[in-house]
Amino acid sequence: MAKPLSNTVDKGAANRGALVSDFTRQLVPILPLLVLIVVFLIWPIVNVAIMAFEDNYGNFTFDNFVVASQGVYAQAFGNSISLGIYSALLASIPGAVFAYIIESRGSEFLKRIINSATSVLANSGGVPLAFMFIAAFGAEGSATVLLKAIGLDIYAGGFTLFSYWGLVLVYCFFQIPIMVLVFSPAVQALRREWTEAARSLGASKWQYWRHVGFPLLFPSFSASFLLLFASAFSAYATARAMTVGTIALVPLMIGTLIDGNVIVDQFNLGKALAIGMVLVTALAMVPYLLIQRRVARWQK
Amino acid sequence: MRFKRFAAAAVAVVAAAGMSLTFAAPSQAAINYCKVTDLQSSANGMNGLVAAAKKEGVLNVITLPRDWANYGEAMDLFSKAFGIKINDDNPDGSSAYELQTIATATADKQPDVVDIGVSALNSVTGPGRPSIFANYKVQNFADIPAEWKDAGGAWYGDYNGIIAIAYDSSVSPAPKKISDLTNAAYKGQVALGGDPSAAQEAFMSVFAAAIAKGGSVTNIQPGIDFFKTLKQNGNFTSVLANGANYVSGAYKISLSWNFNAPGAIASAKAAGKTLKYVIPSDVALQGTPYIQAINKKAPHCAAARLWEEFIYSENKGKTSDKITAADKKLPGQALFNTILGGQNIFVSGGATPITVKAMTKKGLLIKAPAGLDVPKSAKLVMPSPDNQAAGKSLVTSQWPNL
Repeated sequence: MAKPLSNTVDKGAANRGALVSDFTRQLVPILPLLVLIVVFLIWPIVNVAIMAFEDNYGNFTFDNFVVASQGVYAQAFGNSISLGIYSALLASIPGAVFAYIIESRGSEFLKRIINSATSVLANSGGVPLAFMFIAAFGAEGSATVLLKAIGLDIYAGGFTLFSYWGLVLVYCFFQIPIMVLVFSPAVQALRREWTEAARSLGASKWQYWRHVGFPLLFPSFSASFLLLFASAFSAYATARAMTVGTIALVPLMIGTLIDGNVIVDQFNLGKALAIGMVLVTALAMVPYLLIQRRVARWQK
Repeated sequence: MRFKRFAAAAVAVVAAAGMSLTFAAPSQAAINYCKVTDLQSSANGMNGLVAAAKKEGVLNVITLPRDWANYGEAMDLFSKAFGIKINDDNPDGSSAYELQTIATATADKQPDVVDIGVSALNSVTGPGRPSIFANYKVQNFADIPAEWKDAGGAWYGDYNGIIAIAYDSSVSPAPKKISDLTNAAYKGQVALGGDPSAAQEAFMSVFAAAIAKGGSVTNIQPGIDFFKTLKQNGNFTSVLANGANYVSGAYKISLSWNFNAPGAIASAKAAGKTLKYVIPSDVALQGTPYIQAINKKAPHCAAARLWEEFIYSENKGKTSDKITAADKKLPGQALFNTILGGQNIFVSGGATPITVKAMTKKGLLIKAPAGLDVPKSAKLVMPSPDNQAAGKSLVTSQWPNL
């Protein structure tokens, strides 16, 4: 609760002291977090941003950004953004439905099991995840062989795990659990009383969802969607292990530029691409903030 | 109060006197090995270098995989013979990582020695740029071909390899040349050890394919087109060629350095698989040698120099499992002469040591692992650093759309 402004102005010094202690009381507990953010987030970003504007000899230049916005790099941004969007779409909707079903129908025991399982799965990524899929659904994978034995050859129709859509599929494996994990609290917050109240006022199930359920869940849904977008947009190791660079993706190109054996004189181009990724993520925040603002108005 | 101050002053004077006494005490003329540029002009020779390196007790190396060109044995032997602990930072890291570490790491985390690719070398050397390496000429400096060393001893090539076809014994028919890989029997089985714009092995594989398909070191377009064809006919799989993926059956054929054959064959055998290597009969593509250099900021100057002497030693001698306690007590020069030299360690790993010509002449070359002979029909080619620089941009722009 904010104090009325006039109070602090009128009573002068005494209240100013109170204000300071209020300020310190709020700041001190989060100080370690602030230090952490500055050291591990702001400081590296500022450094990367500075180097993105330098050539190999430390002179100021825009060249890195010019190169980063053309040809194969522009294409990489396109692919990474669409990969983020598709994988977020394909994961957020089933994830939200699962979360709702589990929260509304599941027993306590089931909820606990699902909770631990999703926590584990949501954090399975990188090379181990790629390897799991290769071992199961690769050309000689155990699942492939099993399916073939019952007459289902998944490779007959030109499918391959090692393609753009293969990646989208593999990403869903950790994206859906992330969605269940972050969306469940929002579903939990939907009170049974609201359904009952709506019903007693004569609302149909559809009307309840149209006017109460969806609007309440939408902000959380969009926040979760954004999280999924960001995790697929920036995923590196899985894509690297599964494509050896045959699909243009920004994180892979950054890896090639800053940690390769072949190209070793374009670190700063890699940094420009990294700044590009930060910008894309920041831009993706804009619609989210607009939604939040709108929501804040009627949540008062 | 006054007495206390006096006491403090007295203590300080005594301490200072003690300190100056220690400095004044006569000691052996200690050699600063950071300034030593060759062993011949350095007093105490190899005995002195070994003693100083033993005293340092530590060597920082960087990005040396144990199963790469037999580096595991090189590190074990050096460590065991001289009693020097080796810290291998980020064994699977890249040349770029080595350069970044030199540029940014704190003094004690600096690598003493590096093993980098030619592209990485060219990115840090050049007219008017201060050298990041220390000049040091190993005793066998004259045996290194002139085009693969810096005249001042700042860097030198150490070994190179040939792109081989590695394949599982279940593959039928067995591939013999690169152009065989389009065979419809190999559907979904052909893989590369990385992205050619990031991994030297994959990059050189594209060169090899180019030459097999009518291209040349200055025209690698046919190589990229070859992999495009392989992708279209379904033979190429973009899974990363590595031990785990091979064992899981994700691919069966890859283009790989011959010098990783002994290690890879042994790991495959442990997993119940039979991996075979063959040098393609259409093209034997030689990689450019990797480059050794001593870091100017090396924290262990003597150990770094001893490591280079060891890497360029052409000795036939004992491997790490044969070293005895009595050997370790030998004086430096005698101990150095007892152990297998680094150039021969590369040979037993399947690599070609840089001093191969001199070693052959002196009769010092040990036997290479069987089965990796270069077929007579194979065209022997080595892309120059300039060829590679030109090839890079083509791969960077075309590989992502394979």
